[in-house]
Amino acid sequence: MATNACRPLLARPAPRGVGRSVLLTLPILLWALLMFFHPGANPAQLERIAAALTVCLMSALFFMMMKTGNTYRWRRCFFVLLGVLFPIGFIHNLIVARGTMGIPIEEMIAGRTPFCFLVIPTIILPAALTKTLVFPGSILSSTHGIASMVALWLACTLVLGKGWCAYACFFGGIEEGVATIPARARIRKIDLRWRYGPWAVLLAMVLLSLALFEPAYCMWLCPFKAVTEFVAARNAVGVVQNVIFILLFVGLVIVLPLLTKKRTQCSFFCPFGAFQSLFNKTSVFDVRIDPTRCKTCVICQNACPTMSLSKESIARGETLSTCMKCGACVDACPRQAAVWHIKGTEVAFKPERARLMFLYAAWALAVMFGGSIIAQGIATILHFVI
Amino acid sequence: MAAFVEFGEALTLGLASGPACIAACGPVLVPSLLTERAGLSPHVRYLSAFLGARLVGYLLFAAAAWEIGSLAVLPPGLRVLLMGSVNVLLAVVLLGYAYSARNFCGPSCAKSELESKLVKIGAAKSRGASGAAALGLLTGLSLCPPFIAAGVRAAELGGIIQALLFFTFFFVGTTVWFVPFVGMGCIARNQAVMTVARMAMALIAIFYLLTGIALLIGRKAYGY
Repeated sequence: MATNACRPLLARPAPRGVGRSVLLTLPILLWALLMFFHPGANPAQLERIAAALTVCLMSALFFMMMKTGNTYRWRRCFFVLLGVLFPIGFIHNLIVARGTMGIPIEEMIAGRTPFCFLVIPTIILPAALTKTLVFPGSILSSTHGIASMVALWLACTLVLGKGWCAYACFFGGIEEGVATIPARARIRKIDLRWRYGPWAVLLAMVLLSLALFEPAYCMWLCPFKAVTEFVAARNAVGVVQNVIFILLFVGLVIVLPLLTKKRTQCSFFCPFGAFQSLFNKTSVFDVRIDPTRCKTCVICQNACPTMSLSKESIARGETLSTCMKCGACVDACPRQAAVWHIKGTEVAFKPERARLMFLYAAWALAVMFGGSIIAQGIATILHFVI
Repeated sequence: MAAFVEFGEALTLGLASGPACIAACGPVLVPSLLTERAGLSPHVRYLSAFLGARLVGYLLFAAAAWEIGSLAVLPPGLRVLLMGSVNVLLAVVLLGYAYSARNFCGPSCAKSELESKLVKIGAAKSRGASGAAALGLLTGLSLCPPFIAAGVRAAELGGIIQALLFFTFFFVGTTVWFVPFVGMGCIARNQAVMTVARMAMALIAIFYLLTGIALLIGRKAYGY
């Protein structure tokens, strides 16, 4: 039971020694090796080099997390790299396979559109009501199939909740990278009502997808079409769609993150993020604010890249439902009042253990999903360089 | 006896097509209902106005189409003109509806005193049924697939009165599916719900506006 008495300051976790950090990193290293060099895998030389580099990178970043006790900085390195390398590998593959980034209508009819997890919330209602998937992709295709992506997403989401948005989403890395460029934010006062934006987009897109029987977000609003693939503009509607994609990308992923130092697309627009917020209830991991240590300095609130902390939520000792567990608030808090937490345990009870358990789950996903994308991007670069 | 069979058929067609009608009307109906006051009676009033105007839209279209002999197959040019115009009008009405809800949420909407300071919330106001009726009329005029199916069947009937009655029974069949929407009155209204509903309405309005303009420009450019 929480008391009002002020608890003594937690000592900031002392940096671990190299040996102990290596030991803690070993499971991740083994997992990464298993992912990229499992028996039966026979990659070409460039892919092998890319895989080796990825294994080293992911293990090194986890090692630094263990050694320094800092989560956000090292996760951000991985995440920005993921955001930068994803379009490189993906666009290269598209050009090789199709010769264009535009999806020709024939490809859509043939069900050869790679599946994207952003579509998931908008296909559920049509699928439930009509047993039809309103996405022009293949269900059982081995690499970009709907079934494999949905299964991966579901398993990870049930464990990590909205952690998907900080450890797997290859789109979020782009704006997180852009947001780190300016030294300080030029826009600091943001109307808090914009935080409801993702829920509004989710509601509108779910309803429109059901009415139009197509993935409406994909067809009309996804900013990341600008750097991946898009509907080939063969008529006035196609031109309008592509103009919308480019404007949203420039506005939400480039300009606003530069001005606010926040992940504005995630905070104010992304319907998948809103949908993921619902799954924070199923995840056993969360971040809590220990009110007995908190002095309401709101450093954590300012540090949060998705505006998932408010004065009211800090007073309640919790984050908002949109928290993606990136660790920015935990690392920023000078009094260690923001702590990693496992539901069902006392707040601030061995928070480092909670952090470790969460990070093993999250980094395993990062290696498996993000790592393969990073490896593909590195292989593409090597292909051009060597 | 034949009339009973025909109207029974219309009722059955309406019942069977109801989910498609809900899907077609959902983007307009759900967010606009969410900006109503909580409680069953405001929702019954809204749905009555919406559905009544929708019936008027059905009958107006059926009568006009019968008169020009195009109930079964509307000429492409006329169809595009109708769809484009209806979409643009729907967008305008939806935007107006979203704007009119700006001060609807009363002080009780705010969860706490602190939160109410974050967002300016005006005094509670009651809204008339004209907005709901306008939205109902326009959704009644938009050519959704069940509506076209009913039009094809009604065109085979002997006279305009039978066709109108056919549409009326078809409407009654589809209306059954709208009854559960009254239950949305049980959803508590707070600042979050109202803001999300208004933002969603604006977004949907922009979508209708863009598609409406694209249809009208396409018609002008390609002459169909």
